[in-house]
Amino acid sequence: MKKALKIAVYSGDIPSTTFIERLIHGLSNTGNSIYLFGFIKKKVKYQDSVSVFGYRNTRLHKALHYLKYSFLLFCFKPKEKRKLDRILKVQSENVLLAKVKSYPVLWHKPDVFHVQWAKGLADWTWVQEFGMKLVLGLRGTHINYSPIADKKLAAMYRTYFPKVDGFHAVSKAIGLEAVKYGAVKEKIHVVYSGLPCVEEKKTVSKQKDVFQIISIGRPHPIKGYTYALDACNLLKAQGITFHYTIVGGTNAIEFAYQIHDLHLENEVRLIDNLPYAKVQALMQQADLLLLPSVEEGIANVVLEAMQNTTLVLTTNCGGMDEVITDGVNGFMVPIRDSEAIATKIAEIVAIPQATKEEIRKKALHTIKTQHSEDQMVDQMLALYQSIYYDKA
Amino acid sequence: MTKHKTVGPTIGIVLSTVPRYSETFFRNKIKGLQDNGFRVILFVDYLESEDSNFACKVVASNTFNKNTFKRIWCSFLALLKSLFMHPKRSSILYALNKRDGISFKDNMKQVILNQFFLKEEVDWLHFGFGMLAVKRENVAAAMCAKMAVSFRGYDLYLSPLKHPGCYNLLFTKDIQYHVLSQEMKQELFRYKIPSNKIEVITPAIDIPFFTSNTTVEKKNRLELVTVARLHWKKGLVYTLEALALLKQSGIAFHYTVIGAGSEKERLVFAAHQLGILEDVRFTGKLTQEEVKKQLEQAEVYLQYSIQEGFCNAVIEAQALGLLCVVSNAEGLAENVLDSKTGWVVPKRNPVLLADKIEAIVKLSEAEKQKISKNAISRVQKEFGLIKQQEAFVHFYSEN
Repeated sequence: MKKALKIAVYSGDIPSTTFIERLIHGLSNTGNSIYLFGFIKKKVKYQDSVSVFGYRNTRLHKALHYLKYSFLLFCFKPKEKRKLDRILKVQSENVLLAKVKSYPVLWHKPDVFHVQWAKGLADWTWVQEFGMKLVLGLRGTHINYSPIADKKLAAMYRTYFPKVDGFHAVSKAIGLEAVKYGAVKEKIHVVYSGLPCVEEKKTVSKQKDVFQIISIGRPHPIKGYTYALDACNLLKAQGITFHYTIVGGTNAIEFAYQIHDLHLENEVRLIDNLPYAKVQALMQQADLLLLPSVEEGIANVVLEAMQNTTLVLTTNCGGMDEVITDGVNGFMVPIRDSEAIATKIAEIVAIPQATKEEIRKKALHTIKTQHSEDQMVDQMLALYQSIYYDKA
Repeated sequence: MTKHKTVGPTIGIVLSTVPRYSETFFRNKIKGLQDNGFRVILFVDYLESEDSNFACKVVASNTFNKNTFKRIWCSFLALLKSLFMHPKRSSILYALNKRDGISFKDNMKQVILNQFFLKEEVDWLHFGFGMLAVKRENVAAAMCAKMAVSFRGYDLYLSPLKHPGCYNLLFTKDIQYHVLSQEMKQELFRYKIPSNKIEVITPAIDIPFFTSNTTVEKKNRLELVTVARLHWKKGLVYTLEALALLKQSGIAFHYTVIGAGSEKERLVFAAHQLGILEDVRFTGKLTQEEVKKQLEQAEVYLQYSIQEGFCNAVIEAQALGLLCVVSNAEGLAENVLDSKTGWVVPKRNPVLLADKIEAIVKLSEAEKQKISKNAISRVQKEFGLIKQQEAFVHFYSEN
């Protein structure tokens, strides 16, 4: 029988993003111990199997945190403390902060340390020196966007990726991207993000006078909203009646100017970030979720829309074609192509209701068979165990 | 007409910082005014050590930094100065603000923050950017000075989107406006500003410096160049998309982008994704001499901006005889006359831009020479520093 593992899920923040929190929640029911390290943004009630060893972002809290773990390590693991101090002195610019972050990890020594964001990898390679297994999450812009322009970051990846014990890729495509930086192909495990099982919703009839389109996400260039807005301009010129909402798009003066410039004030609105439940409600009311991104791992918002039985139109970026098949369970257009977005939306508007219903059903089926939370947790656990026992 | 309180007319120019060497516009304006007998005082928010030798008197705002204690202390000192050094002006400022419906708290804040203006004697208080005049709408009146405001592009087109209604109060005041283009004048009309209150004075360049004395060797690829901050308003993603289309058409080119900015990651990624990264070079920020050298190596200058007040870089490129292709964003269509001194392409349309570049490549040498010569001659006639200086002297003398 396999022993229960001590698994650290590290994103730097406590709590983390919705999907990482979902992973933590899922793992906490598997009989393993889950450790969370890092900066506590707000207090969260976790299950008993989850232990939080974080600090608040005040000088006093950080000082107490540091003193506590310095004392423990000094008294009970002095050799290891000295070894870690030597490593941190060489590799860290801010040694004191590095100690605040690292000492609790050395003290509690999880079996597996799972770094969620690749940019922080260099800070955590030391865990291998103390027998911990290092897993790296391959997620989003850290892998498929930033290292293209940031040569230093790319060099860091090339140095450390070959040494990582295992990778968790959110899509096959992002896994292949990591191979370019020296990640060993056999160590890459594709585990798709999962959604909790919900009771089948009765599909609400969404036929309205105005076709409602929604996009959700931060106003980052990678999200490709400028293409969506140019597409809106083309749709308007074609006389199609629609309304487009970008949730999270306020404060982006670039979009505000584009809307003003193209006279789309009546067709487009930018709204602020909203709580999760409100976003889900808006998504359910929409006729179409549009993902105009130029790059993605697999956009979680698309999975949520599919579960909410909202039709999805996505660009063919990153791992999106691992979820959506054009015309089957959603729709797909090439990246950076406003005209293609506009043409496809015009087609979707004209599709008969029964066909739309069929596509929604297939989308829900994809989520159930490929993106369930249970599946994700089982596969992640298998990943941790395979890495742990291979070496052990 | 206000009675002059100093020997010659005194112009108070309000900027965020002392203009750097590359900021020809303000440096030339100040020099021109001084040469014509005006006295200039520069009011800035921040002062740096190298600013001590600037060509005119510089008055800096108090440092209200983040340290709470220092902030309270500075506010207290400013309040004392308001009460005892220039009580009359402070009370006028307070009364005018009150008449405008500004709350007591905001009014006191304004009196404290604008105290550094009040001790100076000026005939004109000229705000160098629109946003610099916000929350200072009554300062000039409190100083018994005339008020002028320059709009330069971003502040007229983008700031009101970022801060809705930010100019509502400003536009009710008696102000003489300076804008860079006729298009910007039209924009002010939308805010109900009368024509006689707006003067168009285009930017100007150092023509002797931007005169080409080298002949560029003909290369077997098209050399394109842009000088721009790496900011979304410069339309560089659309430009890269057009160049990707050009590549698909089999036209060999190399594109140099001179400038730095926060959008570099976005642009490098776009070039990578569009398959033209090896054909594009981002040089970062260069000195004026280096910019000139780079421009002289190129044949075509691109400025496919989304938003642009007028754009000095395009004037400089024309002066050096480059074939300029610009978008129709705001003042650009006045900067370059379509098919006469360059070409103007509707913005946000990479297909049209690619088509235009392709058409230029196919032009005969004589046709290219004609456009280039037209551009040089127009810049020399219209955009010289002397002409700009005269325009500003006229601006203050006739209003």
